[in-house]
Amino acid sequence: MRDDAMDQAFILAKDHLKSFLRKVKKGHRLVAPVTNQHNDTLFCTINHLDRVPINLTEQAQNGIKSFLFPQQETLATYAVSADGYRFNRTDVRPEPTVYFGVRPCDLMAVLYMDVVFMGGVKDQHYLEKRQDSVLIGLNCNAPFANCFCSATKSGPFLETGFDLMFTDLGDRFLVEVGRPKGREMLQAWQQFFTPAEAEDTRAQYQLSLEAMAGFRLDVYADQAIQRLAAGLVPESVWEQLSLRCQDCAGCAYICPTCTCFTIVDRPAGPDCGERLRSWDACTFAGFTRLAGGHNPVAHKIHAIQTRFLHKLKYDVDKHGRPSCVGCGRCVGICFGGTDIVRFIKMAGED
Amino acid sequence: MAGLATTFGSGAMTNAINEIEDAEVILVIGSNTTEAHPQVARRMLNAVDKGAKLIVIDPRRTRLAECATLHLALAPGTDIPLLNAMMRVILDESLADQLFIDMRTENFAALRAMLYRLDLAELEAVTGVLLEDIRRAAQLYARARRSVVCYCLGITQHICGTANVQSIANLAMLTGHVEKQFTGVDPLRGQNNVQGACDMGALPNVFPGYQAVDNRDYREKFERVWQTRLPAAPGLSLLDMTHSGACGPMRAMFIMGENPLRSDPSLDRVEETLTSLAFLAVSDIFLTETAAHAHVVFPAASFAEKTGTFTNTERRVQLVRQAIPPIGDCRTDADIIIALSGRLGYAMAYESTAEIMEEIALLAPIYAGIRHDRLRHSWGLQWPCWNTAHPGTPFLHKYYFTRGKGHFVPNDHLPPAELPCQDFPFLLNSGRIYHHYHTGSMTRQSALLNRECGEALLMIHPADAARLKVRGGDRLCMASRRGAVEIKAEITDQVAAGSVYTNFHFGETPINRLTIAAQDPVAQCPEFKVCAVRLEKL
Amino acid sequence: MSLMRSEDYLPRPAVIQKIIAENSQIKTFVLALADQQANQAFTYRPGQFMMVSLPHRGEAPISFSSTPTRPGTIELSVRRAGSLTAAMHALQAGDQVGLRGPYGRPFVMEDLQGRDLLVVAGGIGLAPLRSVINGCLDTPGHGKLTILYGSRVPSDIAFRGDIDIWQHHPAVTCHLTVDAPEPGWDGPVGLVTGLLGQVKVDPASSTALVCGPPVMIAAVLTALGKMGFADEEILTTMERHMKCGIGVCRHCHLDSKLVCVDGPVFSRAQLKKLQMDRL
Repeated sequence: MRDDAMDQAFILAKDHLKSFLRKVKKGHRLVAPVTNQHNDTLFCTINHLDRVPINLTEQAQNGIKSFLFPQQETLATYAVSADGYRFNRTDVRPEPTVYFGVRPCDLMAVLYMDVVFMGGVKDQHYLEKRQDSVLIGLNCNAPFANCFCSATKSGPFLETGFDLMFTDLGDRFLVEVGRPKGREMLQAWQQFFTPAEAEDTRAQYQLSLEAMAGFRLDVYADQAIQRLAAGLVPESVWEQLSLRCQDCAGCAYICPTCTCFTIVDRPAGPDCGERLRSWDACTFAGFTRLAGGHNPVAHKIHAIQTRFLHKLKYDVDKHGRPSCVGCGRCVGICFGGTDIVRFIKMAGED
Repeated sequence: MAGLATTFGSGAMTNAINEIEDAEVILVIGSNTTEAHPQVARRMLNAVDKGAKLIVIDPRRTRLAECATLHLALAPGTDIPLLNAMMRVILDESLADQLFIDMRTENFAALRAMLYRLDLAELEAVTGVLLEDIRRAAQLYARARRSVVCYCLGITQHICGTANVQSIANLAMLTGHVEKQFTGVDPLRGQNNVQGACDMGALPNVFPGYQAVDNRDYREKFERVWQTRLPAAPGLSLLDMTHSGACGPMRAMFIMGENPLRSDPSLDRVEETLTSLAFLAVSDIFLTETAAHAHVVFPAASFAEKTGTFTNTERRVQLVRQAIPPIGDCRTDADIIIALSGRLGYAMAYESTAEIMEEIALLAPIYAGIRHDRLRHSWGLQWPCWNTAHPGTPFLHKYYFTRGKGHFVPNDHLPPAELPCQDFPFLLNSGRIYHHYHTGSMTRQSALLNRECGEALLMIHPADAARLKVRGGDRLCMASRRGAVEIKAEITDQVAAGSVYTNFHFGETPINRLTIAAQDPVAQCPEFKVCAVRLEKL
Repeated sequence: MSLMRSEDYLPRPAVIQKIIAENSQIKTFVLALADQQANQAFTYRPGQFMMVSLPHRGEAPISFSSTPTRPGTIELSVRRAGSLTAAMHALQAGDQVGLRGPYGRPFVMEDLQGRDLLVVAGGIGLAPLRSVINGCLDTPGHGKLTILYGSRVPSDIAFRGDIDIWQHHPAVTCHLTVDAPEPGWDGPVGLVTGLLGQVKVDPASSTALVCGPPVMIAAVLTALGKMGFADEEILTTMERHMKCGIGVCRHCHLDSKLVCVDGPVFSRAQLKKLQMDRL
């Protein structure tokens, strides 16, 4: 395959998917959605391609946030000795990883995390995991029950941002090439791919139209964003949300773009220990409380505001787009009924 | 429990939790549902979204009260007069369900006679709730087709706990709000398996399945299966044991998964009892304050390390499957009991917890149809489940009450054992918060939960705070006739003037040093919710 | 700050050279990085902060109270507030702490050149401003300096050594006030805002620097506005809970801003665009 032929799309017959992934696995760790014995579909590392069924029809419960930004990771170890108080890197070099079957929402979330962790000062721990990763996306032919990515313009089909993007055309995948790593991957295993025909791209276009028509929730994110920008969301909305929020932070943990974290020391003995980074949530009161007890975000109502303003106002101002990717996971997990879809609905009402 | 047993014949939620979502009126009394039962509160809020009316009866303006149509902030310990007043209004306005009363209940005449003797103006004064609000609550509750009452420890932890519950049952029967779907009386049980523990006979007077020990037929049934003689007399209640004192009858105790040195009232007395025991063994997953006093500690396995069932507040028996093997030397509760029993000369040869479940099914008729394999691929079964083909019972008392006819038990006001006086001018109420569980033996191990809430705060009304010259964050000494603790003040109008409120989760602030050991004569539940204290700024 | 900088979250060991007890609650730690070469190469600017680590206690942000015009050591003044600062107060000279930084947007000393400065501080709030004051005094070309410092009680007055020098410096006017007097105190009693009316400053040629408890900052900012200070010429520095120091963890959010990278130094003009009630 010549380089200039790479702009076009390719076809991978479904019969060859496993063969392709087997080759991919030779140089990379493979992460893909798998349904386990409890019927939960989760992205996980695939050790044996033939023993676990990759599930490309369900929405994975976890997304791939935890692989690039683990729920808990060791930043350093420390020790106090005659030598003094020393910190040491934990030298675990992340394996190069291919993420396969990443939905557009989760893919957009990774691009957002790139901005957070590498846009200003580069966070070494994220950078190391991210720089050797390849993102192979899967466009969504049929949105799931709580999805609203069309409202946040992060799906159901993506045209950029991926290394490779798959579209399920029934018996075959249409494969589009995005960033250079995708190109390299395709070139390395070109025996599996044939150039796509016009009919294939037409089929993809048709599927994208059908997907757009398949959303079940009416979510007017733009309207909420505009009303927030104009200061038109009344205080009563926040009050109602803060009364109902249960403080569980499930929304933040499940959210593919929530990246707040905390850092704590965990002693391993009297003179040594680990410095850990773990997920945190801006809705927790302890998130902002100072050592003396003063809390600049004194009221629950402000904590809730922070969460939604960050996603739908501050990030819009800063990056030109909201940092909600419309995956709908928080809708499923929130038991107070204060998820972002509820907020967008309330914010839109007069 | 005893309250519902004497009126309905069965002491458990009459509804499934999900039914609450489709109620038209939800009356919450003595329950801080949002913080103590968030998954139940979720259904209440969903119901409100669907248009249901929520009535909250609580001395404090809880988070749920903020979401309510009507909040009746009664004086602590005046639940009976308030419920009686509601019932009187219902009679006066002909809102009672006479057909239901005639067909399904007995002893109504006694209730009616008692209610007609009452003076509503007097009840208004006693409860501190405007008659107008009482009337509205009564009308809302009685007129709806589907009304649910939820109550919790704010009702039962009083010396008149049983009478409180009976009064709730009276209200429900008076309006016929019992036998249907989305309609009923729902005690919310606190811990994940407290219902299961009661079901299994962790009560002084019953065998598993609420079969009285003093009933010869039941006793003989158990003796046959267990091949041993069983005592005919009921055992001791909790306080009979932990409050027996240095000279009391208790000589040895085995305490499993309980921390009475923080959870029982009048802690000084508990400490006296426990330290004077000839032998104390404690089994727990962490070294609690109680375990620290033990001669022998059995390290117990956590929920994730064992297989068995939990029975939740809606009588749902659910299977918990072992995720990891027990860590270190820990063993499961069943293992500990089996090993101990073997050493004491009574061999228990169970090959699995599934086999124990089969024995429960054999002996406890309400569990007769429950087996591990039925639970494995389901969300559990709600008892009563009479046989292996039975689908379980979402709501109780359909067509007839467990005891046959519902029994009205009229009750008069019984003031709390200890009310504020000149020396102890404040009324102390205590309860729970979202971030911690019971005595904190598990949750206080979590850095994040401690960051969210790491110490007890005493809620004080701004007027009281001003008089005591106390500002938020000031340290106070709070003393009752039984003991004293140091505690930080939080100024808020969520509590009424004259009342203070705090949580008992914190070992550093053992609130139960202060609480009173007075208890309900029937259920023997201590009056945690009311005692008199005085405050001094430190 | 270069965009290409990367952060590995590894603190460097630093040795406590000396500890000065400023009052019962505040101690100043004079520190030098254990690696001599690194210590010589170390630079910072007034208003910036360091993330300070203590074994098993984690990290906390502490502003410089020293000035980079006096190199060789740095000074961090710490008020005892939580478990980390309490543990720090128990340390002795020769003990080590971990240091990461410097972080944050500083006071731009070049902009202050030639301007008169009005410093208004309360309690530990004097620490970051001490860095500016001493920096100015070390640099030729600074304008007139007026310092107003409020403490709770006379025995709480911190940085007495510096105050003594300032009170005798020809270019400095330094007034103290306390919330409540103690025997032997004959100075003013009352809030630091009360001193504002008594000083002679020309708002047109002055820049005000304010730091202290949140309520005090809010009151002083308003008062300065009324005196005629332009919002751009009122600068304050804010205290927030922080974990990363580099604008990622978001603990220090202040509306759309992050105090660790957009601050901690803010002008009143910047704050007005945010919600001041959450100071």
